[in-house]
Amino acid sequence: VRCQHHPPLRALQASAALRRASDEHKKEPLTSSSQQHFDSPPAGHQPEQEPQGPRSSYTGQGGQESEDYESEEQLQHRILTAALEFVPEHGWTAEAIAEGAKTLGLSVAAAGMFHSDGSELVLHFVSECNTKLSKLLEKEQKLVQLGEAEKKPIDKFLRDAVEARLRMLIPYIEKWPQALSVLLLPRNIPSSLNLLSSMIDNIWHYAGDQSTDFNWYTRRAVLTGIYNTTELVMMQDSSPDFEDTWRFLENRVADAMTMSNTASQVQSTGEAVVQGLMGAAVTVSNAETSRAESR
Amino acid sequence: LRLWPCRCRPLLSRPAAALRERRGLAAGPEMHFGFQTVTEEERREKIYQVFESVAEKYDVMNDSMTLGIHRVWKDILMHKMNPSPGTLLLDVAGGTGDIAFRFINYVRSVRERQLQRKLKHHQNLSWQEIFESYQKDKFNSLGDSQVVVCDINREMLKVGKQKAQHLGYSEGLSWVLGNAEELPFDDDKFDVYTIAFGIRNVTRIDLALQEAYRVLKPGGRFLCLEFSHVSNPLLSRLYDLYSFQVIPVLGEVIAGDWKSYQYLVESIRQFPPQEELKAMIEDAGFFKVDYENLNFGIVAIHSGFKL
Repeated sequence: VRCQHHPPLRALQASAALRRASDEHKKEPLTSSSQQHFDSPPAGHQPEQEPQGPRSSYTGQGGQESEDYESEEQLQHRILTAALEFVPEHGWTAEAIAEGAKTLGLSVAAAGMFHSDGSELVLHFVSECNTKLSKLLEKEQKLVQLGEAEKKPIDKFLRDAVEARLRMLIPYIEKWPQALSVLLLPRNIPSSLNLLSSMIDNIWHYAGDQSTDFNWYTRRAVLTGIYNTTELVMMQDSSPDFEDTWRFLENRVADAMTMSNTASQVQSTGEAVVQGLMGAAVTVSNAETSRAESR
Repeated sequence: LRLWPCRCRPLLSRPAAALRERRGLAAGPEMHFGFQTVTEEERREKIYQVFESVAEKYDVMNDSMTLGIHRVWKDILMHKMNPSPGTLLLDVAGGTGDIAFRFINYVRSVRERQLQRKLKHHQNLSWQEIFESYQKDKFNSLGDSQVVVCDINREMLKVGKQKAQHLGYSEGLSWVLGNAEELPFDDDKFDVYTIAFGIRNVTRIDLALQEAYRVLKPGGRFLCLEFSHVSNPLLSRLYDLYSFQVIPVLGEVIAGDWKSYQYLVESIRQFPPQEELKAMIEDAGFFKVDYENLNFGIVAIHSGFKL
């Protein structure tokens, strides 16, 4: 009886210690194996690390017994990524997550780790898309810095970035309205707003926006509006390769550019008018003074 | 030299025994049966007799003691499980089959919805194809889901089988006589393991949890529905009053068995509280262990995953 206790304890200590190690370094080089072993890890792994104390988190330990030594979160990410394949058929639901778990060799009951309305699946997908977009923009920026590509004008940059991001929805476009409704659930609104605003922020950052005044807010609000409306147009677009959507996007970005030009024009016109009025007032007061003096 | 063995023995045995007793492990001859102290073997014997005598009136007593609320608790357990068709469930201490029947109903309705959705997509099929798909799916109304009801007590299983026949449950259901501390199943077999109002009566809870871990597939889920501790002091006093004054009387009046229901109420008090049970489940190797209190802690659902 006593020796039955030891393997789980040892594995937990090993995996907890390893999780600490993998948190410190970026990525463990052992993650390439695709075999699923859920028994105790091979003996003698990292004995020099001191055992971690018991975790006091509400949901238990953070380690996992597998050759890849991933944490619970990493396993959950893998399940959600695997589940995306089944979304076109089952929608953004617990069933898709169950199918995803099955492909990883886990029981369908593993879907019980997530909410039954598929929230985590949608949020995971949005977050993955944002990461992909970031990487894409970073790559483009590097090319420009190395001189291998030309710097795009602002409106083209914004158009391309939004189009690239929206194209990631194309495989799931049938069920995307369902995903939008899940994102609007009160429980999910903080996370979905967070993801949206950080994506918009990212795009403006790579567009070279360095404003520190009120423009920062207006720019983000404008781009958020463009993104959301284009997304909705895309839902009902049936043209080949979504041409209508991209044309709509082009028009909206052009509108935004014109609006900002108009705004600066209005500002300079306003300044000119005010200066004219000031000049007129000075002239009138000078005339009055000279008339008073001449009398 | 002679003093040496005498001094060591008490030092070694006391703390270990106290720890083991707290955790529901066998501490030599001392175990609790309700508020009595008995040996391990006696406890098993007594519990078997308790359920042998209450088996016939088990469901009626459940309804009258909990005023029917136990049905809601079991429904909530099923919703939490949210099984998809194709799930293999092991219901331990499942005696009269309440969880098993609910599982079958749930899976059947999920399956129906799945089939309806499939048909909606197949709008362009010919009549022949539609007819064929009806034929194929009609014989698969459970979607290959199965539930195995395992209980240590023959009488409870007998009552369960009778109920199944009476209510018309035949497909996807099996009845196995077995001990939760030593399950007669292979490793990595089941998707979900449930034990509803049964783990309290297991003599070695740690062994039962280890067995649960063994028979679950990787990714499988452990669910335990059990009476637990109420932290709210006012509610706790009312609950104690109801438990000790009303329930044994109901037991005598309805089932003619005061002592069994006295045991029931006492065993609830002796059972480890939520956090302790959670620690025991984690010790068995489960991950993402958490619990949900129902009715302020009168009942709690503990859940863990074999990852």
